[in-house]
Order: sequence, then structure tokens, then C-alpha cells
Amino acid sequence: MQDKAAELLKNGTVNLLIGFSEDLGKRPVPCFIETAEEANILVFNQECKNNLSVYLHKKEVKDAVKIGLVSNIATLRSVMQLLSENQLWSLTITYLTVNTAGELVVLSSAEELEAYVQANFPTCRAEDKEMLDKLNAMTRAERWAYWKDQLSECVKCYACRAVCPMCYCTVCTTECNQPQWIKTSAETSGNFEYHTMRAMHLGGRCINCGECGRICPAGIPVHLLTAQMNLEIEQEFGGKTGWSLKSEYAMNSFKPGDKENFIK
Amino acid sequence: MAEPFEPKIVAFVCNWCTYAGADLAGTSRTKYETNVRIIRFPCTGRIDFMLLIKAFQNGADGIIVSGCHPNDCHYTSGNFHARRRWIVFKSMLDFMGFPTERITFSWVSAAEGKKWAELVNETTDSVRALGPFTEYKNLDFTTFNQMDHEAIAR
Amino acid sequence: MELKLLSTSDIAVFVDGLLKAGKVVVAPVLKQSGKVFFKPVQSFAEVATDYIQTAFSAKEVVFPKVEELFTYQHNEDGSLDIKDQLDRIPETVVWGLRPCDAAGFDYLNQFFLKENPDVYFKARYDKTTLVTVSCSKCDESCFCTSVDSHPGDTKGSDILLTAMDGKCYVEVITDNGLALINSAKELFTSTDTLSKEAFLAKPATHFSMDEIKDKIQYAYASAEWKHASMGCYSCGACAFACPTCTCFDIQDEGTQDHGKRVRCWDACGMSQFTKHASGHNPRNTQTERRRQRLMHKFKYSVENLGVVSCVGCGRCIRVCPSHLNIFENILSVMN
Repeated sequence: MQDKAAELLKNGTVNLLIGFSEDLGKRPVPCFIETAEEANILVFNQECKNNLSVYLHKKEVKDAVKIGLVSNIATLRSVMQLLSENQLWSLTITYLTVNTAGELVVLSSAEELEAYVQANFPTCRAEDKEMLDKLNAMTRAERWAYWKDQLSECVKCYACRAVCPMCYCTVCTTECNQPQWIKTSAETSGNFEYHTMRAMHLGGRCINCGECGRICPAGIPVHLLTAQMNLEIEQEFGGKTGWSLKSEYAMNSFKPGDKENFIK
Repeated sequence: MAEPFEPKIVAFVCNWCTYAGADLAGTSRTKYETNVRIIRFPCTGRIDFMLLIKAFQNGADGIIVSGCHPNDCHYTSGNFHARRRWIVFKSMLDFMGFPTERITFSWVSAAEGKKWAELVNETTDSVRALGPFTEYKNLDFTTFNQMDHEAIAR
Repeated sequence: MELKLLSTSDIAVFVDGLLKAGKVVVAPVLKQSGKVFFKPVQSFAEVATDYIQTAFSAKEVVFPKVEELFTYQHNEDGSLDIKDQLDRIPETVVWGLRPCDAAGFDYLNQFFLKENPDVYFKARYDKTTLVTVSCSKCDESCFCTSVDSHPGDTKGSDILLTAMDGKCYVEVITDNGLALINSAKELFTSTDTLSKEAFLAKPATHFSMDEIKDKIQYAYASAEWKHASMGCYSCGACAFACPTCTCFDIQDEGTQDHGKRVRCWDACGMSQFTKHASGHNPRNTQTERRRQRLMHKFKYSVENLGVVSCVGCGRCIRVCPSHLNIFENILSVMN
């Protein structure tokens, strides 16, 4: 990967390569390299979980136009979803990933990306499925108590929103104060409202990279909210997120035959 | 002397069907419970889930959301979009443990004045039985803010 | 300053005694997520002991994430009721701070009380006693020795405990600390000699504040700021976890009839932080915002208050989703 990255930077295919390097604590952290000489800091392993596609919205990255993106499968799915939402039209991206056999794979076009993603489409992570099953088996009152306990820890740092590639609105609902939809302060009721709103806005768009829950400084598994919602949307309405270059939005389409059992 | 609890119910209704149905209930002099405040929308497709949350935030104990029957939407497909949205929103709230029995979704047409009155009566009775929505207000027990020993012990 | 000894087995007795006396005790608690947070406890058994650092600081005790400043109510006779909580704040003991956290309280003290004392902060701070425990371990994110502190520092504490084998040194630094010790006199024995070096962690030192004072003035124009800020996601995690970050927002919540005024945390890293009503944003890029954060901590605070507003706890590095490293950044922009 280091050699390929150096090559792409040298021959001008890529102006800015976003990948992972190791920090002092031996943790993989996002890095941004612009010259072939820097390519030897790149690392890639199972611990490289950050979804680097979120940086594609950053002004400094957009200015570089020709981007190299070191990706895990979640990142590639995010890019697919962003492409289907027409958010990356100004960029030319080369993707570097490693397949299950440990080989470097280089994808240079949207079509190549789509083919690779569809051939390597992941399933819901086992630990997430376990938590979702556990929560769904609880009574309503138990779930309320669980989320109340969890969401009282939320400090509204918005790290969950910040790391999400799908949260790219230049002015978020939370930043609207005419009217103030979501309280800015971190009271539990406001936290409930914020996380419900975010999950709803991600309905049919989230690809379940799980980053929001993983990086939450308060340790709240917020990714379970979007995971549950998207599993249900997939079951009820069909369609997969991060699958195709053509947008298959469940939430802005409908079928006259949509079924429910609660409308009187 | 404490007054008995009377629920505050907010109804989000579409202009062409349910609002007209409610009008019909009125002109027919149908007597029904007075706990509901109606908010009129051009179409149920306009109803954002944030508005429902806002109603609870501002003290509503129960909510009614009602519009044209499927295939009868004045704007052809607004209620189809709304139906999808409600399916997802209700299941989201269920997952978070929110008492979704406080929200009643319904299709009421302009001719169904009687149905509207029955809907309001049923909803008022069930929300009255559920009691005030203190669970929501009690979310804000904030440990360091209220400096309330009971809150801290909780 | 008095020096005492406390046997390790008596720590629980001491803390449980404070609880019985009606004090609120806030201590590190291990939560399901595996992270440790400062929370009110009901018994010493709940206190976490084997960890390097808590996820968030203890500043919530004196500077809550949501603070109701007052409530207002318009009455039918036209009168207005305004109520606050200032006289309802209980005696609180924060147990298990690290020396860096206590140094953080020292900074908060300077910031909120030096000129135009903040009544809300003062009301809480005056009722709070800080009991610190020296660090016997550290990780690569810790850098207190680079910012005028160290794992056995007494700055900001009322009491500092240093654990040895079977017992602890108890350095009683303030009158508040002494009052706490005197409430359970029988548990403590006096001693003359303090020899705690051997029991303290040895974090790596990356720079000194003298070095910073010399070079930081040239850092503003450094081209390295862009590189230092590229990974930043523009969230508020670092500011909210930080023991010395004090930026806040004030919001009114309510109707014309009744409501409340609330103070809540804010973060200079967030993109709208400096947005003016005109729509202009003087810190429109993350580069400018990161530069502001670091320059404020290492230069402006030093100039304005005489104290650096970074204590080297390393929380910002740990909570950051891309583990942006504050001391590496400072070194790179100074060179």
C-alpha cells in the first residue's frame, strides 16, 4: 500500500492521500499526505476503523480535487451512498483497500467501486446484532430506563455527528434557532430529541459503520439506534444502503401497498 | 383541592380530510371531549416528526396524527410518504422505550365527523388512564444541576 | 501544611463516614462501556481504582454541563418570580482526582473568580473539597511534567494522598482539607517525613513551559497549523473532556409565561462558534479554530491569567476520534 500510495502521489493521479498512520500510543489515526516521501508512514490493519470518507466533505480536501482514500469496507459503502446522493461530484477519488485475502485492491472509478462493494457486501456486526436482540427482548419500560441511563451521559459534543459521513448538512437542525428545535444544552430530554432526530435523518442512508457509537466520549452505543432503524427499513421497504450508485431512498419513495398495523 | 387530571392532547391533522371531518363533527353538534387542540396542515406529508417531539417537549400528554385515507390524498401521494415516515418513527420510538401508546395515528375523511369524535373520545380516555406524561419531564434529573439529594440517590 | 498517614484499609471507612455525615461524594465510577466517569456514589464500594484516567474531567461539580441559572414565572397578578438554586448546593467532596485534575480546578478558580467573580461557580466551589490521589501509572497521552506539574503535585488540592504499601501519605494542604481530616481524626496518624518519589509515575516530558514562553509567539504564523488540524472533525469532545475548558453558551428555554435561563458547555472547535449575527465567521476554517485553541491554552491564558490552561491530563488525545495530539502539535508549530 505504501508503494502504491507513493506511486499515485508521484505521478499526479492523487494530490492528497487520506490514510492511517500510527500515533505515539500505537493507535491507527487518520493521516493526510501530499508527497511520495511521506507514504512510508501508512499503516493498515483491523484496527483501522475510522470512516475516512467523512473527510471528503472538508474544504481543504475538496480543494485538492484528486484524492486517494485508504478504505475499509464501511468507508467504501459510505462513498457509494455519498455518490448516490451526488455529494462527491467535484472530486476524483482513487480507493486503496485490502480484501479478505490480504491483497491490496486499487479502485479507480465509481463503477469499479460499485462492483467491489457489491461483491464484498458485509453483514451486520455480531456484537451489534447481539445488543440489538438484547434490547428488543426487553420490555418497553426497560428500554426507556436503558436509554435514559445512557443518554443522561451525553454531553452534546456532537462527535457522533462530526464523524458521520452522512451528516454533511452545512447548517444542522441543531444549529437552527428560529425556532430552536433541539435544545443546545445537554439535558436528558434534549439528548433524547437530538439522537432521535439524528437517527430519523439517517433513515435509509446510514451504512452502519458504527463509528458514532465507537468514538462517543461518553461511551454511549448510539450506533445501535441507527442500526436498528436501518435493519427495519431494509426489512419493511427493501433496498440496501451503500449498495448502488443509483439512489434507492426508502424514505422519499413509497408503495401504495405499504403495510402497517397501527393506523386507525 | 386538586383538580382531576385532564390530559392535554395535540392533534396534527390535514386540512382537506381530517380538519373537514372535525368541522363536520362540529356542525353536526356532536358532543365530544374538549382536551384536543388541533393544528392544521395542508397535508400529513408536511408533518415533520420534530413537530411531534416538540409537542411532547412543550407538555402534551398525548398526540393524534390524522389525514386522508390512502388513495384519497388531496395532493395524490402526501399521505403515502407520511405513512412510511410514521412506520419508521413509531418503531424508532418503540426501540427507545418511548410510550407510543400516547400517539394515535389515524385516517379520517371529510365525511367522517362521527369517526373524528369517537377518535378524540377514545384517545382522551386512554391518555387520561395513562396519566400525565411525567416520564418525559423526569428525564431531566441532572445530577450536578439540581443538587437534589433524592435525584442524586436515584 | 500537615502530613499524616492513613492505612489503605481505612480509606473506605473514611469515605463512607463522609457519606454518613451527609456529604455528597463524587468519585470515579466504572460504567458498562468500560470508561470511568466522576459520579456521585453511595458507598466506597462503587469507586473505581484500577484505571489511568477518567473519560471526562470532574469540572462538572463546579461547572455543570447544564446549569440552571434561574427560573422565571409570570404570576396572574402581574408579578414576576425569579428563583435560583444558589442556596441549595450541598457540601461536596470530590474523591480520587489526579494531580492534573486538581491543577485544572486551580485554573478554573483563576478564570471564574479572579476578576468579577462568577456567583454560580463560587457557590459551588466554596462547598467543594478536593481530595486528590497521586498517580502511580501513566500512559503515552499524559504530559503533566511538560506543563509545570507532576504526578505528585499538590496544586489545587485540599488533600493529596499518595499510596504506598498498605498505607498512604496524606498531605493536608488547606483548612478545608484539615476540616475533613478532623471529622475522622482517629483514622489518621501523624508523620514527619514525606518520601513519595518512588511511588509516583514517570510520564515523558516533551517540552517545558519556559521553552513555550520563548517560542510560542512565533507559532501563530506557522505553516504547520494546517497539518495539525487536518484530522479534526470539528466536534466538541476535546473541550468537553478538558478540565480547564470554560467556554459556555447561555440559552433561554421557555415561553413568555415561564421558563429558565440555562448555561451550557460550548466548544471553540465547533464551526459556528464565532459566527456573527451578520453571517461573517472570523474563524471559518478548522485550521484557524485549532490554532485558536492551542494558542489560547499556551499563550493567551498565560498572558491574561498567569497560568497555562492545559494540565497535561491527555484526555483530549484519548477522546478525540482521530486522537489529535496537543503536545505534538505544539512542538510542530513552534519549530
